[in-house]
Amino acid sequence: MTAVPVPVAPIRSRRSFLRRRLPTTFVLGSIILLFHIVVAITGPLWSPYTFNKVGTGKPFENASTAHLFGTDGLGRDVFSRVVYGAPTVLILATTSTAIGVVLGSFIGLLSGYLGGWFDEVLMRIFDALISIPFLILALLIISAAGATAAGSPSLLIGVVAFIYTPRIARMARAVALDLVTRDFITAARARGDSAWSIVIREMLPNTTGTLLVEFAVRAGYAPILIGSLGFLGFGIRPPNPEWGLMISENRSAITTAPITVFGPVLVLASLVIGLNLFSDGLARLLGRSAQFGAQ
Amino acid sequence: MLRRLILTRVLTSLGTLLLVSMFIFGAVELLPGDVARQIVGREASEQQLQIIRQQLGLDRPVVDRYLSWLGGALRLDFGNGIISKRPVIGIIAPRLRNTLILALAAFILYVPISLVFSLLSAGFRGRHIDALLSGVTLVTLSIPEFVMGTILLIIFASSLRWLPALSLIEDARNVGEALRALLMPALTLAIAMSAYAIRMLRDNLIEVLDSEYVLMATLKGLPRRNVLLQHALPNALGPALNVTALNLVYLIGGVVIVERIFSYPGLGSLLVDSISLRDAPLISAAALLVSATYILANLAADVGVLLLNPRLRTST
Repeated sequence: MTAVPVPVAPIRSRRSFLRRRLPTTFVLGSIILLFHIVVAITGPLWSPYTFNKVGTGKPFENASTAHLFGTDGLGRDVFSRVVYGAPTVLILATTSTAIGVVLGSFIGLLSGYLGGWFDEVLMRIFDALISIPFLILALLIISAAGATAAGSPSLLIGVVAFIYTPRIARMARAVALDLVTRDFITAARARGDSAWSIVIREMLPNTTGTLLVEFAVRAGYAPILIGSLGFLGFGIRPPNPEWGLMISENRSAITTAPITVFGPVLVLASLVIGLNLFSDGLARLLGRSAQFGAQ
Repeated sequence: MLRRLILTRVLTSLGTLLLVSMFIFGAVELLPGDVARQIVGREASEQQLQIIRQQLGLDRPVVDRYLSWLGGALRLDFGNGIISKRPVIGIIAPRLRNTLILALAAFILYVPISLVFSLLSAGFRGRHIDALLSGVTLVTLSIPEFVMGTILLIIFASSLRWLPALSLIEDARNVGEALRALLMPALTLAIAMSAYAIRMLRDNLIEVLDSEYVLMATLKGLPRRNVLLQHALPNALGPALNVTALNLVYLIGGVVIVERIFSYPGLGSLLVDSISLRDAPLISAAALLVSATYILANLAADVGVLLLNPRLRTST
C-alpha cells in the first residue's frame, strides 16, 4: 500500500499566532504591569527595610549599594518605601476607577435609554461637574470632607470615582444613544422588558469593549491624580509611603540627594507608562482608539 | 442659523456656570468649622459670635446667602478673606494676573512645539521619526506634571544651575529675570499640553493627507512641503482648536501643581493655600474664577470652530 501524500495546510503554532496578533504596546504594557503587581505582592518579603524604619542611614544620603534610592530626611530607606508604596497606588487606582466605570456606565446607559427630562437634567449636572477642573474638584471635596476624613484611602477612592463617574457617564450615554435605535432594543422593549433589564441584559454586553478601554485609560490616569493630591499634601497622610507624598517630602534634598526624588519619580512614571501602553494595546486589539488624559 | 447656534451655546455655558457656582458654594458651605469662631478666636463669648454671625449674614437661610454671594460675585465683590481680613478681590487680582502671564507664556511655547512635531510626524509617517515621536509623546503623557516639573528642576536648577529653582516672579527686577523665572513653569505646562496635541494633530493631518484634493495637489507636482503646509495644515487646524480647548483643562488643572512646584505666586497656589487655611471666601472665589475661565475658554473655542468651519453650522 503506497502512502498517498495528503496536502496539508501549513500549521502555524499557537505561539507565533499569538505573537502576530498581539500589539507590541499590549505586550510591553502587560510586562511592565506584571512587574509592578509582582513587586506589590512580594515586596515586603525582600525589601531591605520596612517603610517606617527610621535611621537606617544618615538623613538624605545619595544612592549607594545599601540604599539604592538613598535615604529621606528621617534616614528611612527610600527604596523600601517605594516598594511598600506599590500596593497602595495599585489598589487605590483600580478600585476607584472600577467604581467610576461601573457607576458611570450604568447611569450613562440608563440616561441615554430613558431620554427625556431625566436625561436632560442629569447631563446638565454632569456637564457642570466636568467643567470644574478635576484637581480643584478633588481639593474641594477633600476639604469639605473635613480633617478627620482627609487622608483616608476610602476618601481618595471616593474622590477619584466621583471625578470619573460623570466623564464615563457621558461616554456611555453616547453609546446608548446609538444603541437605542437598533432593532434588538426595540424587540426587547416590545417584549415588555423593564428599562433596568434592557440596560443590563441588552446594552451593557454591547459596550464591554468600549468600557474596557475606558477603564484601562482611566486607571492609567488615576495614579497621576492620586500622586498629584499626595504631592500637594491632600492625599495619603505621612508616614505612609505614597509616591507623590515622598516626592514632595524629599524635594528639599533635590540638590544633595536627587535620587531620593528621582527614584519614586521613575517608578511612578513606569507604572503610568505601563498602564498607558497596556490600554493603547487593548484599544488596538479591540479595534478602538484610546484617548489619554483625564478629560 | 449661525447666530442662533452661537446664542444657544452661550446660554448653555451660562447655565453650566450657574450650576458650577452652586456646587462650589455647596462644597465650601460643607467646610467643617465655625467661620465666626475662626474670625474672633477661641476665647470669644457666645454674644460676640452672635454679632459676627449677624454681620456675615450666617444666620440667614442658605438660599439667601447663596444668592447674595452670587450677586456679589457678579460685581466681583467676594467679601473679605477670613485670615487676612482684606477684600478677596484685592488678594486674587495680582495672583490671577500672574497666572494669566504664566498661561500665556505656556501657550506661546505650546503652539510652535505642537505644530513642528505634528508636521514632522505626519510628514514622515510610518518612518522612524514618526515612531520615535509617538513613543516620546506616549511617555510624556504618562508623566504627571509634578514629575515633569521636578525633572526639569533637577536638570536646569540643581545640576546645570541655569535657571532659578523658585519662580518668584514678583521679585524680578527686570524683564530678563521675569522671563527666566517664567521659563521652567511655562515649559512644564507646554510640554504636557503638546504631547496631547501632537498626537491629535498628527492623526488629523494624516486624515487630510489621505483626501482626494491633497492627492490632486501631489499629482499636480507640488513639492511635498507645499502640500503639507498649504493644503493639509489649514484643514487640520480646525479640529486642532478643539484639542486646544481640551488642553485648557491641562493648563488650568496643571497650573495648580506647577505653581506649587516652582513656588510661583499664582491663582493655583493661592487656592491650595486657602484650602489648607480653610479660608472659605477665598476658596470659593478662586474656585469660581478658575472654573469660569475654563468654561469661557471652552465657549470661545467652540464658537471659533463654528466660525472657522462652515460644515458644522448645518448640524444642530
